Amino acid sequence: MYRLTRDLHLYGGLFVSPFLVLFALSVFFLNHGKLTLQARPPEDTVAGLRLPPGLADAQGVDAIAAVRQVLDQCRVTGEIGFVRRIRAEQRLVVPVWTPRRETTVTIDLRDGSASIARRTMSLWETFAYLHKSPGPHNAAIRGNWFWTRAWKGVADGTVYLLLFISVTGVYLWFVLRAERRVGAALLLGGACSLVGTVYAILR
Amino acid sequence: MHFYVGLYLLFYIWLFSLTGLLLNHPGWARHAADRRSETRSEAQVALRPGTAPWEQARQVMEQLRLTGEIDWPATSPEGHLDFNISRPGDAAQVRVDLASQRASVVRFENTPFATFRLFHTFNGSRYNAPGTTRDWALTTVWALGMDAFALGLLLMVGGSYYMWYRLKRTHALGVVALCAGLVLCLLFLVGLT
Repeated sequence: MYRLTRDLHLYGGLFVSPFLVLFALSVFFLNHGKLTLQARPPEDTVAGLRLPPGLADAQGVDAIAAVRQVLDQCRVTGEIGFVRRIRAEQRLVVPVWTPRRETTVTIDLRDGSASIARRTMSLWETFAYLHKSPGPHNAAIRGNWFWTRAWKGVADGTVYLLLFISVTGVYLWFVLRAERRVGAALLLGGACSLVGTVYAILR
Repeated sequence: MHFYVGLYLLFYIWLFSLTGLLLNHPGWARHAADRRSETRSEAQVALRPGTAPWEQARQVMEQLRLTGEIDWPATSPEGHLDFNISRPGDAAQVRVDLASQRASVVRFENTPFATFRLFHTFNGSRYNAPGTTRDWALTTVWALGMDAFALGLLLMVGGSYYMWYRLKRTHALGVVALCAGLVLCLLFLVGLT
């Protein structure tokens, strides 16, 4: 039992370790980083687009499906963040994200054209993007790109594996009698520091 | 050290793991019991003339006994001091008419479930909003705690590589596990551009 648990802990940990490094490094950028946007990126223009009927007024997943048809014609792929309508100008602004790239597509509903601006994310920003993806916002449309759904599965898997590793780690520690006292003190210390900070923030 | 760091961080690991799952599955919390409560009130405040907006916000918070991280709305009407205050457990929207020095306050009380979830994201800073800075000491404490947790995770990962290398006579299975994780991670990090 001990040997099997130790091997599962070790190999499960080795598999998940690159993801833990990614999530851990992104914390520093999320807590202290600031995005410095360079000058407006150059824009491409695509004309002669076939706009699907109802594109201007579609909502939720219907809007995503309609916009996706336009993006395919522009050869833009990725997770559609949201669809912003500028009714006065008859334009749709659509941010599209992939790890390492943010593309903003502005669709002109009057003449069926689109301008496309691409911005490359830094490695730090990509870490942060993956850390936050898919996240809780715009839940009805989130995961509209296959790879976002795949990443959601990987992120969930990382959590489940981490929980498994933490539980097996506690077992492996408890089996070592010589380490019990120091370990228990550290476990208690960690719990006290967490509860104390949470209490101070909430009171 | 792998043992010790892991045991100290155990409850942090569980907190951030479970809240991370909840954030990735907002549907799990979409029920009536997770709705935050809202109360409205008005109060007279006294602002010292000639002070900066953030200082006036502090004066209002002190007089209304509000604490938390200040967040400024994108726009504020002329003659108004508008700001929001948030903590994981509650939040408030404060709108002060500077002429009459009358404050309208909407207070939100989060449910324990939502409060628990918000500890994952409570850092007082947004990397894509250059103007945001932490202004509540406890937000800084929590953010530094998150940094320490991340550092601890990195130490544990480093420790696990060392132990694997030193304690195992053969490394083939470990190399396979590590490479599988690394390839999958790199696929998302650089392969999808």
